[in-house]
Amino acid sequence: MITALAVKSVRNRKFTAGLTVLSIALAVLLLLGVERIRQEAREGFASTISGTDLIVGARSSPVHLLLSSVFRIGNATNNIRWDTYRTLAKRPEIAWTIPISLGDSHRGFRVMGTTPEYFEHFRFARDRRLDLSQGKPFADVHDAVLGADVAQSLGYTVGSSIVVAHGAGDVSFMLHEDQPFRVVGVLARTGTPVDRTVHVTLEGLDAVHADSIGGFPNDPLAAAMRESESTPEHARPGHAHAGDAAREAYSDRTITAFLVGLKTRGSALSLQRLINEYPTEPLTAILPGVTLQELWEITGAAEKTLVAVSVLVVIVGLAGMLVALLTSLSERRREMAILRSVGARPTLVFALILGEAAFLTLAGIALAVAALYLGLFIGQSWLESRLGLFVGLGWPSAHEAALVAMVAVAGVFIGLIPAYRIYRYSLADGMTVRI
Amino acid sequence: MTASCVIELSGARFSWEGGGDAPTVDIESLRVRQGERVFLRGPSGSGKSTLLSLLAGVITPQQGSVKVLGRDIGALSGAARDRFRADHVGFIFQMFNLIPYLTVVENVRLPCGFSDRRRANAQRGGCSVEAEALRLLEHLDMAHNGLLKRPVTELSVGQQQRVAAARALIGAPELIIADEPTSSLDADRRTAFIDLLFQECAREQAALIFVSHDASLAGLFDRAIEFAEVNRAPAGA
Repeated sequence: MITALAVKSVRNRKFTAGLTVLSIALAVLLLLGVERIRQEAREGFASTISGTDLIVGARSSPVHLLLSSVFRIGNATNNIRWDTYRTLAKRPEIAWTIPISLGDSHRGFRVMGTTPEYFEHFRFARDRRLDLSQGKPFADVHDAVLGADVAQSLGYTVGSSIVVAHGAGDVSFMLHEDQPFRVVGVLARTGTPVDRTVHVTLEGLDAVHADSIGGFPNDPLAAAMRESESTPEHARPGHAHAGDAAREAYSDRTITAFLVGLKTRGSALSLQRLINEYPTEPLTAILPGVTLQELWEITGAAEKTLVAVSVLVVIVGLAGMLVALLTSLSERRREMAILRSVGARPTLVFALILGEAAFLTLAGIALAVAALYLGLFIGQSWLESRLGLFVGLGWPSAHEAALVAMVAVAGVFIGLIPAYRIYRYSLADGMTVRI
Repeated sequence: MTASCVIELSGARFSWEGGGDAPTVDIESLRVRQGERVFLRGPSGSGKSTLLSLLAGVITPQQGSVKVLGRDIGALSGAARDRFRADHVGFIFQMFNLIPYLTVVENVRLPCGFSDRRRANAQRGGCSVEAEALRLLEHLDMAHNGLLKRPVTELSVGQQQRVAAARALIGAPELIIADEPTSSLDADRRTAFIDLLFQECAREQAALIFVSHDASLAGLFDRAIEFAEVNRAPAGA
């Protein structure tokens, strides 16, 4: 009877009630959406690297080293000498190492020189390994393996030929045109920066750089120097020749960083200290997990702002409901007086308004949750392909449930204000119908 | 006090200020018998509505006693007064009597949702509450021309008042209180409405307190009371 009254009353004001529900739904949707994407972004970020115990680079800030080596953001300030790497890689506590060399690009995508160990030991997400969707890993010096995004957006497949440019920009003035790489494999999508990376062999990169030692190709002095130094074959190099060049350049080869897998995790801290205090070259070793945490502390402010804004939007949505309920009170005073005259208790009048607030809030929340899942269902592939975000359709997390519960409680609390007012009215008015 | 006495006020004083220094209502004695039709006349602002609130148990006197059907209203708790009103009192307002989002029949049935006694009374003849509501509406000349299906907001004022009368009468409450129910009706309809109301009250053996400032109606009633003569409180206080 009371429920029927409440339902009919809301139906009578379905336009305002609908708008109120909609505004609450949009606010809650924003809150949940921001929260969901924030969680997934964090998880996606954290899952960019897995199974690596240490990352070693030239002396720099840990966050900088993490960003440049794993996320391909920014450039390394300095390089590590090859012999330093070789010496460290032989240490007994180390199970495997992956050297990486960054600094070149191909049509806006980062080029990373590495060794076949990369495909064997690199892990992301929860211990997932890199899979090839086409072809195979490196076999030859001028082989390249593309990330999924690179292959997709540039339309490359196995057999395509690519040219590496110096520097990381989209437009580079120095192309290593005489040393093309051949695509031998394309990696399956990972949702990490790997997708946007062109992987080539360290030797291949060496050959490219060795060939252009002496400066820009159009620099007459450098050209003259090259003329006198290089053998005629160098002008038109085949694979074998490039390999020779690489081996010649071996001693002054440098790498940007290397990833380390340990036999036992326990030795990570002592090895980190040893590397950080390495006598012959200034190095920095980082524990990826710890540095990711530091990174979160930096990005935390922006995240908190985003959450704060969406919380504010929810408050605005609930305030809208308060306004709608309070405005409806003046016309409902008469309705309440009629109900009182047929024997309704003032508490029933109170419950009617409170119940309406609770109903509007819950309907808003339900709509928001439905819209969130529908949106995720539709937008999932877009988010994954465009932003590299994999947002799952799983059950709401405990955190999300807590947020929603907080909104619901806030809605009921806000309902107490108009409910109490009409309760006071109905006590004061009695059965006088005030118009 | 006799059993046939529906209303019995003695020394009842009420002041909205709470102190009783400037009472709105101050009545030495007022009695209404069972089935009696009483016309209560007085200008607006004379405290008539306050008296009706006292009779309905929305407020209680600060001094003296108000007895309805032998029960001292002032001695009942708020919840008990609300239940008492639901069980024994039918109310008709001056206008805007109906809840806009309920149908005509739902409006009439409303008291039966709050009072088991009135629901039981309505079902007395072995019929449903809905059938009883329809019967009352028919008696009040409201059950034709698809009036029942119309939204109550589209009914004329006279039609709305008749629906309100049906609601006040359903379940046979002993006391019907009508607060200027005809002031928004024209003269013909006014008499017709009062006739219908009388018939139904007589059928249910209900006492009727009919408040109006229109003295020309007084002749239709068993008894007419000039409010200023029973209320010792100065008018407009």
